[in-house]
Amino acid sequence: MSQLVFDPSKVMNIDYTLRTEYLEGLEAIKAAHKVLKEITYTPSLPDKGYTNRTLYVNVGTLEIKEKPVTQQMKDVFIGGRGFGLYHLWNAVKPTTRWNDPENEIIISPGPVAGITQYAGTGKSLVVSLSPQTDIPIDSNVGGFYGPLLKFSGFDALELQGKSDKDIILFIDGVKGIIRIEEAPTDPVDSHVLAEILTHMYAENEADLPNISVVSTGAAAEHSLIGMLNFSFYDRRRKCVRFKQAGRGGIGTVFRNKRIRALVVRGPKVAGDLNHPADPETIAKTGIKYHKEIRENDPHQCMMRRNGTAHIVEIMDAYDLLPVHNFQFGSHPDVHKIDSSYWQQRCTQVTSDGCWYGCSMACAKGADGLTVRTGPYKGHLVSVDGPEYENAAGLGSNCGVFDPDALLELNFYCDTYGICTITYGTLTAFVMECYQRGILNLERTGGLDMTWGNAEADLEMMHQMARGEGFGKIAGLGVKKMKEHFIKNGWGDPQLINDIGMENKGLEYSQYMSKESLAQQGGYALTNKGPQHDEAWLIFMDMVNKQLPTFEDKAEALYYFPLFRTWFGLNGFCKLPWNDVVPADNASQPEPQKVPEHVQNYVDLFTATTGIKITKEDLITQSAKVYNFQRVFNIRMGKGLRLHDAAPYRSLGPVTKEEYESRAERYDKQIVDEMGLDPAGKSTEEKMALHREWRTGRFSKLMDSVYTRRGWTLDGVPTLDRLKELGLDAFPEVVEVVKQHL
Amino acid sequence: MRQLVIDFKKCDAGRNCQHECELECAIKVFKVDDPAQAALQIKAYEEGGGHAVLCDQCGDCVVVCPSEALKRNKLGVVMIDKNVCVGCYMCIGFCEKEAFMRNSDWITPHKCTSCGICVKVCPHGALSIVDVPEPARRII
Amino acid sequence: MIVVNEEPLDWHEGMTVRDVLRARNYRFPMLVIHIGDTLVPKKDYDTTTVPDGVVMKVIHLISGG
Repeated sequence: MSQLVFDPSKVMNIDYTLRTEYLEGLEAIKAAHKVLKEITYTPSLPDKGYTNRTLYVNVGTLEIKEKPVTQQMKDVFIGGRGFGLYHLWNAVKPTTRWNDPENEIIISPGPVAGITQYAGTGKSLVVSLSPQTDIPIDSNVGGFYGPLLKFSGFDALELQGKSDKDIILFIDGVKGIIRIEEAPTDPVDSHVLAEILTHMYAENEADLPNISVVSTGAAAEHSLIGMLNFSFYDRRRKCVRFKQAGRGGIGTVFRNKRIRALVVRGPKVAGDLNHPADPETIAKTGIKYHKEIRENDPHQCMMRRNGTAHIVEIMDAYDLLPVHNFQFGSHPDVHKIDSSYWQQRCTQVTSDGCWYGCSMACAKGADGLTVRTGPYKGHLVSVDGPEYENAAGLGSNCGVFDPDALLELNFYCDTYGICTITYGTLTAFVMECYQRGILNLERTGGLDMTWGNAEADLEMMHQMARGEGFGKIAGLGVKKMKEHFIKNGWGDPQLINDIGMENKGLEYSQYMSKESLAQQGGYALTNKGPQHDEAWLIFMDMVNKQLPTFEDKAEALYYFPLFRTWFGLNGFCKLPWNDVVPADNASQPEPQKVPEHVQNYVDLFTATTGIKITKEDLITQSAKVYNFQRVFNIRMGKGLRLHDAAPYRSLGPVTKEEYESRAERYDKQIVDEMGLDPAGKSTEEKMALHREWRTGRFSKLMDSVYTRRGWTLDGVPTLDRLKELGLDAFPEVVEVVKQHL
Repeated sequence: MRQLVIDFKKCDAGRNCQHECELECAIKVFKVDDPAQAALQIKAYEEGGGHAVLCDQCGDCVVVCPSEALKRNKLGVVMIDKNVCVGCYMCIGFCEKEAFMRNSDWITPHKCTSCGICVKVCPHGALSIVDVPEPARRII
Repeated sequence: MIVVNEEPLDWHEGMTVRDVLRARNYRFPMLVIHIGDTLVPKKDYDTTTVPDGVVMKVIHLISGG
């Protein structure tokens, strides 16, 4: 029960500079590149966080042009995800789907991104129409691409059109060149491709950190769950590493456009490139935060030692760690994959941030893994993470408790270009279907998807990368698998729908929400689908009992999604907000909001842009973009109450095993919450009572949340709310809403 | 490794001198006529005695620096390469002795490099450069 | 008997804040603990005893990736 203590003597002795190299073919690959289009431009650095122009590239027509950033864009959309949604809205029609040429991928870092003095300030937001959900997806990603893009002169990059051959877009922010090159023989998978391209475009060794590559891998070509790897050069490991824009299949869109990679070569980074209005405040705020990390992190979350994996054992202790497709919340073998193991397995003597100045440094790396299966069998590789989501999704949720197998799954997800969260949840679904006879050896083409069978799990992933067999079906994601299994008559449709953990077409991330009504809303009442980046309310609701009424839960589901949206408008990471807190945080009002850190964000925004804001303004800034995105969903034919429906597995016990494993809890709820007597009732009868109670309260939660957000009971933002936010300045937005009022 | 040390049996925390050490450092090393910018700072306690803020070359900053701008030279002294530094100030935040400094005019931080310029001007002979073993690299 | 986060918990003589955390398996490191209206600093979890009949709040700060 006492907190884990880091023991440096237990860290495994692994040489973090050793790994298989892939540079042999570089010259031949380079020689095969053919310039399709090249233009010159005048590079510029940001002024108060903005370069005031964006770059538009059509990979089909080879059109390249600059667009001005208007004052209205800054006032309403700020940057990052806001700019992404704005450009996407203008690019698509309600009928546009993910694989139409009009669909775009927009990458935008936000005004504060690129400062080096505060933790978590190198983020880019990637926005596109998702192949999984048919609505906008947004993904918050680290790595160097966003900041280097901005320091090359652009607040955002819009990619539109479809190429008929594989291409690379190269932006040289030092020389002022933008080039589209045909890349006929480049390798496919990220860990090989990005290493080669980083060395190909760097002018010398000192230039390596100034290169960042966006790429994906083989599985993105054959599935709907492709992600994008954003690279950063690790000077100590002397290798290219990645952070992932994981959710929603943007990597699939990328390959559908036949983009092989984006490469940026930025200027050498210095502390003042973002040209903030008030560098002194940024410096002081940053140093204060670095000190806080040094003093508090070792006895708080130990992010510098464990990264986000520190919560594996915490979630297990609170019955919140997904086990066997979100059936259960804990497992006796979790100690094999918890942070007491990872802090010994990960390299600790180095500096692990995914952008300069990140003192939280959660980007841990497990070096020296010898791959046992697939095309890289026998290769010595470094694996990023594992982060919590990977350990939980690829690990406990699928019953995989062998850490090396987990690392190999993590490695292949990354290099094949698929989202670990999505892959974890869809594999857990496949495994449960296999265990329940919905799938069998014949239907999986010989894959024995028993809980914990990592070998079959890896083979399914290799199939996904090859576009073969059952792996190809799995790569469609949970929603389409459900439809496929039901259509084939492979099982009870209700059971299949209940246990398939997706909402809006996106797979759930790795937390158990059954005992937290607020978190059920935190997942399902989201803009893009069930990802915890909008709200994580389980402790407040389930453990602390701080949200007893529907109004309390609705208030939390108003504030936190808006507060957390703000990170993605400005180029921030969420983790430094709450994974360390000031020593006196406990004595502050509303300590769960970490008031001093919220003030830091207000100060950093003002010091960057010169625009004075308050804590309340921060929420209003987000509300504009958040409501715009909701209307965007409605415009695309979704975004209404029916699309916020949650699978029953996220709300309560679907099966007898689930009920009986926690019978004491569920029986007590029948007494306390329903005022009934469970005695003499069968498990089935009790489950039916729970279902009625749980779906009823979820529906009531929707009413409360929609009302608090200024939406109709069908989930449509009212005209009053749009006016309040100034969104009535966009006639198209008003038109969309009017049709639903 | 070369290390600047101060003997508080000889130094009276600036009560009976003109802070010559700080001034000399500021002028000769940093080319500013402001002792507050010096890489060592002598602080007097109200109740008597005092302490010095100065770099003992422990090397913690070398570990946390994300750009490898901080390295030991052949004398073991931690030196900053201003051309490589990205101005993140993690070295400042992670220095337990608060010996890494900055001011609003320079984008890169600075600290004592055991150069010994201050040693010669101390009227009490309280400062000296010593050679001590380099500590092991810490996990921070 | 004491009440911790709205739920009853058996009390014993000499029970410390740390004992309460252990009894509830509250392993999360980021807590804000009040006995009645009094904040208990983290350094005092081992030494602060919990009187019988009190109402305790063990607020877990927000976690989750």
